[in-house]
Amino acid sequence: MSVTVKKTIPVVIVAVVAFIVMMDYFLLTPPVDVAGKSWTSTTVTNLQNWGVILTAFALGFGAVNLFYFHSKHISRRTPGQWMYSLWLLIVIVIFTGIGVFTGPTSDQYSWLYNASYFALSATVYSSLGFYMTSGLYRALRFKNVESGIFLVVGFIVLARNAPAFAVYFPVLRVWGSFISDVLTTSAQRGIMIGGALGAISLGIRTMTGRETGFLGKLTEEERGGGIE
Amino acid sequence: MLIIIWIFILGGMELAKKKLPPFRKLTGLDALPEMVGRAAEMNKPVHFTTGLGSLTESVAPQLVAGLAVLAHVAELCANYGVKLIYSVYQAQVMPIATELIKEAYVKAGKPEEFIAEESVRYLSGEQFAYASAVQGIAERERPAANIMIGPFYAESMLFAETFSRIGSIQLAGTARGYQIPFFAVICDYLLIGEEIYAAGAYLSRDPLQAGTIMGQDFGKALALILMILGVLITALGSSFIVDLLGM
Repeated sequence: MSVTVKKTIPVVIVAVVAFIVMMDYFLLTPPVDVAGKSWTSTTVTNLQNWGVILTAFALGFGAVNLFYFHSKHISRRTPGQWMYSLWLLIVIVIFTGIGVFTGPTSDQYSWLYNASYFALSATVYSSLGFYMTSGLYRALRFKNVESGIFLVVGFIVLARNAPAFAVYFPVLRVWGSFISDVLTTSAQRGIMIGGALGAISLGIRTMTGRETGFLGKLTEEERGGGIE
Repeated sequence: MLIIIWIFILGGMELAKKKLPPFRKLTGLDALPEMVGRAAEMNKPVHFTTGLGSLTESVAPQLVAGLAVLAHVAELCANYGVKLIYSVYQAQVMPIATELIKEAYVKAGKPEEFIAEESVRYLSGEQFAYASAVQGIAERERPAANIMIGPFYAESMLFAETFSRIGSIQLAGTARGYQIPFFAVICDYLLIGEEIYAAGAYLSRDPLQAGTIMGQDFGKALALILMILGVLITALGSSFIVDLLGM
């Protein structure tokens, strides 16, 4: 594949689209239509619509991938997998059939969604409590200085949130609030500032064609030559 | 502020043209060959996820950062002959990921070993359905290594704990502050916040990419100076810094 097709065209598309979106956000351009929308605003709306269309196509691609992958398991009777694959395909067909024939806002479809996915989703979410307990059990062990600090801080915050402890030891509320409001918040803000700068830097690299990770591993020539 | 950061980053790129700046060691990224090597020895797959990343939302940079690492991991897997499983949440990422992984196998001279539907698996666009499917892959296929780079939400703990229970060696990285502690207590290696954005530059060792990281560090130094000045000047009763930043 030539460098033009593989790198130049995608990078130019990314740069132009990013530039228009940034212009719409930062600059005030004069309105061009009766609705008072500027050309940047209209272009951004169009780009977003294209994104929606592309996503819909990609979803079709995903569905084909799902069917192909699971059909293979069913036909091979892969131990420990094929029955789940079969069940998945049956459920997809039922959902699609009811969705197509009665509409995605119909009572039948809503009932199916709420009675199956919604309930299962809530179950998986609630299982998080067990995973957190199990993770905490492993984390709160004294292994070195850092884990020791973590153990003490973790215990204070845990005890502060347990009503019985907090009633008998009111000082835990003060310590707990200091840990969450001062120590944790300041650390979170540090991470947030670093993250925001990192995202800007990545954006600039992507717009200028220096970040090519999403285009795959490029050769030195495709990257535009290395500078020693 | 954005213009100043642009100047810093472009300045960093110019400086890096003359001399490659030194990188701080990122243990998690250095451990990638070890993780893939372990999978090769155990004859088990490597699992990769970019979390609930989407290309059209504010978390897109995290997803792009994850894809840069995926390209590197795919190359390692292709060279070591290890099966790679990439769990897809957003269908729009599928064509990009497929192309990335396929190319890694072609470059390794093993295009016949790349089986698209085995390596790139679309699971679901719903959060907990996706989480359950990833847990299912963990339980059934028992990957030797699990790499999670991107935006994660409530499913972070489900993934980290499940893969930990089956004995996978894990690398996690996210810029979502609330999920970092979960990963920190469970995973073997961790990339915190901005480190995931630097991953592409770190792995490629491209001088110009490294220059942008240098510019980013100048930006951080400026933010730190402004914070200290802000605290001092505000404590003295002036609102100069607050007015300057338009806060």
